[in-house]
Parts: sequence; structure tokens; C-alpha cells
Amino acid sequence: MNLDLQQQIIDSTQLLFDTMLMMPLTPGITLSEKVYSFEKSISGMLGFAGEIQGMLTIHCPQDVAFSITNTLLGIDVNEVDADVKDTVGEMANMILGGIKDGFTEQGIDISLAVPTILAGRSYRVSGMDDAMWTTVPFYLDEGEFLVELKLKAPK
Amino acid sequence: MDLLENIKEATKEIFETMIMLDITPGDPLAENVTSFKCSVSGVIGLAGTCQGMLAIHTPDSVAKAITSSFLGMEVEEVDDDVTDAIGELANMLAGNIKMVLDAAGKDVTISIPSCIHGDEYSMDCVADAEWAVVPFSIDAGQFLVELQIKSC
Repeated sequence: MNLDLQQQIIDSTQLLFDTMLMMPLTPGITLSEKVYSFEKSISGMLGFAGEIQGMLTIHCPQDVAFSITNTLLGIDVNEVDADVKDTVGEMANMILGGIKDGFTEQGIDISLAVPTILAGRSYRVSGMDDAMWTTVPFYLDEGEFLVELKLKAPK
Repeated sequence: MDLLENIKEATKEIFETMIMLDITPGDPLAENVTSFKCSVSGVIGLAGTCQGMLAIHTPDSVAKAITSSFLGMEVEEVDDDVTDAIGELANMLAGNIKMVLDAAGKDVTISIPSCIHGDEYSMDCVADAEWAVVPFSIDAGQFLVELQIKSC
């Protein structure tokens, strides 16, 4: 298995921002330490399974989520409502969809579950520390968000 | 497809065989619960011919009680043992649901779980899915099992 997870994440996220959101985006360097705790944030979680099992999670500060939602929908939100949650859910679907295509090119088939949106003043996300994980930060004018991909090969 | 029966059967079986705690199922909720305080939620995805998500939502005290019984040791606070245990519980429940769905002719695979712990958070499944939420009671309190299935 020769999956460059960092590149898959960057390519897929860049594609989403170039084609659908039209917002300038700069990928950062893959994090060397996991980030577990978030404040005033939104996390979109999307599981996948098949030849590989895993989960993609987008961790986004609320302000950044508002900005992306406003750009996508042409509105002006300032609280975490259904539009914001739908937007983050759709981002997760599209980024993981792009990664799925990348996996298919490597001969690996996965299928996607459905997104779950977590939002709160202060929360911690953890799980499966023995899974392979890669987290890439992305920078927008409005701030930074993280795309985290964790996976393990089935037994 | 009787989601409610599947949830009740799967949860009871896991608690009887792996967690070793008596549980009592309650009536399924008429409305979904999406806001939680001082709670732990285990979440796992279902994929393949059925797309969906299973979540277990437990208040801190209940999460600790479940973990204590599961691991055979006293747990004082919501630490990594607790989040791992709740994540594993979601994994086991999803595995059970998968078996039921596969026996009905589907081909379901499950993702890896994530576990959330927070003082105050909301969780929404944003797919347009058929859902069921069943409360269960143990001595320490009540927890919820939520199953969302979008296409099956």
C-alpha cells in the first residue's frame, strides 16, 4: 500500500476550495502531534469502510466555519445553525470523496458513511490512537482549519 | 427493517456479555436529542449498502460506571480509559447491527470510532436519514443509543 495520505488530503481539499468555494487556501505542514482539544469549534466527522476502515474529521473554529458558509451560500451567518452544519458536512463528504478517488486509483475501494457534526464551547475528540493518522492544517484569510484522516487496514 | 428492535437486542447483548451490567431499555424517543452537557459520545460510521452512523451518548457518571464494569477497575474521572471504552462500545454495537443487517441480505462495513467528551456540545447527523434513539437505564443513570440509516 503506497498511500501518501498528506498529499491525498491536500489535493482533495485544494480541489474543493478551488472549484466550489473559490477561496484562496494554503496547505500547511502535516502536524507531528495530535490535536485533541477544541474550543468554540465545529468538527465534521465522516467514517468510511471497505478495504480500509477509517474516519475523516475536519476541525474548524466557528469563525472560519461561518466564513466558509457565507462564501458558499452567499449569506451572512454568525451562529452555528443548520446552514453551517450542512456546509461542514458537505465539506467532509467532498474531501473524503476526493480521497476515495485517490484510493481507487491505488486499487483500494472504500465506501463512505454519513457525516456527523459536532459543535461546542469546549470538547475533546479522541479514539483509536493505534490507527495511522495524518492531520494537515490549512490557512485561509479568516483563520486555520485542520483536516484529520485516521485509518487502519482491516484484520 | 426494525431499527428499534435491532438497537435493543444489540445493546442488551453487548451489556450482558461484555460489560456485565443490567440494563433496561426505555421507549424510543419521539424527538432526537442533539445537545449534551458533561457527556461522552462514541460515534462510528456504517458504510456499504447501508450508509449511516451509530452513536452512544452517556453522561460522565454513566460513562465512568460502564468503563469501571467493562475494565474491572474503579474509574475516577473521564480519562483515556473511559473514552477508549465508550469508543469500543460503539464499535461493538455497530458490529452487532452490521451482523443483523448482513443477515437481512445487506453488505455493511463499519468505520473506526471516534469519542467525544465535553462540558457542552451538540451533535447532528446532517444526512437526511431514518433515525431511532433508544434510552437505556443502568444503576448509574441513563444513556442513549442513536442509529441513523440513510440508504439501505
